[in-house]
Amino acid sequence: MNLSFTDEQNLLRDSVSKFCGSDYDFETRMKSVNSDSGHNPEHWKLFAELGWLAIPFSEDLGGLDGGDVDLSLMFEEFGKSIVVEPYLANVVLSGGVLKRSDLENKTDLIEHLITGEKQISLANYEPQKGFNLDNVDCEISEDGSVNGLKTTVLNAPNADFFLVFGKHQTGHAFALISKDAKGSKVTTYKTYDGFVSGDLHLENCKADAVFSKADAVDILHQAILEGIICVSSEAIGAMETCYKLTIEYTQQREQFGQSLSKFQALQHRMVDMFMETEFSKSFLLKVLATDDENERTKLIYGLKNQIAKAGKYVGEEAVQLHGGMGVTEEMSVGHYLKRLLVITNLFGSSDYFLDKYIES
Amino acid sequence: MDLNFSKEDLEFRDEVREFLDKEYPKHIKEKMNNGDELSREEVVEWHKAVAKKGWMGHSWPVEHGGTGWDATKVYIYLRELALAGCPTFVPFGLQMVAPVIWTFGSEEQKKKFLPRILNFDDWWCQGYSEPGSGSDLASLKCKAVREGDEYVLNGQKTWTTLGQHADWIFVLVRTDDSGKKQEGITFILVDMKTPGIEVKPIITLDGDHEVNEVWFDNVRVPAENVVGEEGQGWTYAKFLLFHERSSIAGAPNMRRVLNSLKIRAKNTYHTDKPLSEDKNFQSKVAQFELDLDALEMTELRGLAAMREGKSPGAESSLLKIKGTELQQRLSTIAVEMAGHEGMPYGGPYGFSDVEVAATKSDQLSAPKYLNFRKVTIYGGTNEIQKNIIAKAVLGI
Repeated sequence: MNLSFTDEQNLLRDSVSKFCGSDYDFETRMKSVNSDSGHNPEHWKLFAELGWLAIPFSEDLGGLDGGDVDLSLMFEEFGKSIVVEPYLANVVLSGGVLKRSDLENKTDLIEHLITGEKQISLANYEPQKGFNLDNVDCEISEDGSVNGLKTTVLNAPNADFFLVFGKHQTGHAFALISKDAKGSKVTTYKTYDGFVSGDLHLENCKADAVFSKADAVDILHQAILEGIICVSSEAIGAMETCYKLTIEYTQQREQFGQSLSKFQALQHRMVDMFMETEFSKSFLLKVLATDDENERTKLIYGLKNQIAKAGKYVGEEAVQLHGGMGVTEEMSVGHYLKRLLVITNLFGSSDYFLDKYIES
Repeated sequence: MDLNFSKEDLEFRDEVREFLDKEYPKHIKEKMNNGDELSREEVVEWHKAVAKKGWMGHSWPVEHGGTGWDATKVYIYLRELALAGCPTFVPFGLQMVAPVIWTFGSEEQKKKFLPRILNFDDWWCQGYSEPGSGSDLASLKCKAVREGDEYVLNGQKTWTTLGQHADWIFVLVRTDDSGKKQEGITFILVDMKTPGIEVKPIITLDGDHEVNEVWFDNVRVPAENVVGEEGQGWTYAKFLLFHERSSIAGAPNMRRVLNSLKIRAKNTYHTDKPLSEDKNFQSKVAQFELDLDALEMTELRGLAAMREGKSPGAESSLLKIKGTELQQRLSTIAVEMAGHEGMPYGGPYGFSDVEVAATKSDQLSAPKYLNFRKVTIYGGTNEIQKNIIAKAVLGI
């Protein structure tokens, strides 16, 4: 058994941590949040230059051959500063689908992703269709025209291409749609964590390509599983910042002639926050260290259930212990809660994943 | 002991329903059903409709214009209002400052303020908390110095709910800092139009402007606006807090929200069967209902005690804790129900100009959840309430 990281992994963590520490204070983040694109294009360029966007792709696709552990380390650091750059949407979800697909020109598209020149969004969820991945109405016809409505398409306003998942004669497939394709319309909005998202309306929209007709559901599933590892890692980073911010705040804030951190009842609450964070880390490690594919899938479902509960709990406690200041836009702690709440609800609820865990 | 309503009670219930049917303004009802925010004018319009009927003083003594209802009637009344989805009454005048005025105020103050509160001619707000004085309220520093027939106020209050709409504010000020911190606090009524007052918005996590900072810069207030005696404000402040705490549990309102959630669950799909048939969801809702029943009965016990002339005491802290915890739990159920479709968000980012695929109720779930983070903090944090119960109820 070996639970330590490689030197390369430690270097990666250090470099992400350094970026977040020096270039990503809360004010900078909020400036990005309040901009139209919802992130800082300069940061995105930097991510590409540092090779971060190439991590989870194999060398023959121009990538760095990294794996889930590398992504996880990175996202934990992102979570500490609740980084809003669209890594999940582009690299993990869209990249995750592309790299497993049989799309002919996928190497070109992945190259554009890696250089940061193009952005790609995965469009799979639909209104009132729930969390089961194969439950979609969107239709991709034989001649490549696509009809349907996709919702919560992460990073939609910045996307140059969409990977649309839909029903196909063969079962399911993906359609590659350019952003300005005739018959497509994007309604963009912010989500409550400050990220950007959108709805994608498709009416007789001609796809550039239709691909992975044989195993689209499986590919989507694999990409989402990777996404769950990433957002869970992100949540753990956010949880760590939450308890640290809370300790700091309660040490500074004086009521009844002493700092709040001296009250035993509050100390215990912070210990609980810390413990939830540590046990979440342990569970994540178990997932990362499990090789057997079926066992790993089951554990990822469990991870999502655990993180949904722990993340929400730690975020809520952090706000509560900050008192009135915790509920203001001005303080960072509430923004951590918002992101943790989104992570709780992304890809499915904690109940949903508990059932998936039980069933598998 | 009997939980059934008498024939007379049932008639009264019908009377309330009839009133709501006829006098609850339709455009306000529509906005409330849609979850839209009301304008100041609409809030006033609603209160005036109730005042016209003579039903504003449901918790007031008859001599000051109260309805004189027994506990059951008050309960029926508030329950019907909540079930109909009416806006909650702005409590700062009606439920907070009014009892202080009729208990500790001068005859002139009673004559001047109480009828206007009962008729909602004045909108009141609260000047209690300060940036450095939250849970430890008695450490407040906002200062008032007597100069002839006036007090001159300097300092800052914060978390003043709906202060941007208010005509009057009741303020706790320090008139003496030589003794214990609870001494030297004075309770004073201030016209918001007085020169030197500035109201600055605080934006909360849900993106809303509900609370404010209120700044006082050499604000001159007539000495006759002091309630009771100078330096005795802490006694009045605590009295008021008991009233505040007993009024924010809101069981009937939660009952209405829960009912609408249950209806929506029939058409909400997380998997291939509706959420209403999902075991996890069912047990969450059932556990919530059981707790809500217990809360409601606790509210009723408090109401009965009040009608027997007992002032709501430290027991109101029980209601505050449980009521706010349940409010948060309910908002969590709604957020979980919305899932990723609750992610599109108005708030400070705004999307009002676009048509989003997610339903309005899904989109409102997160702002509501975020807004409700405050309820376990305001009116004295739930941690402080537990201290009060430990000390005043359990005697430890």
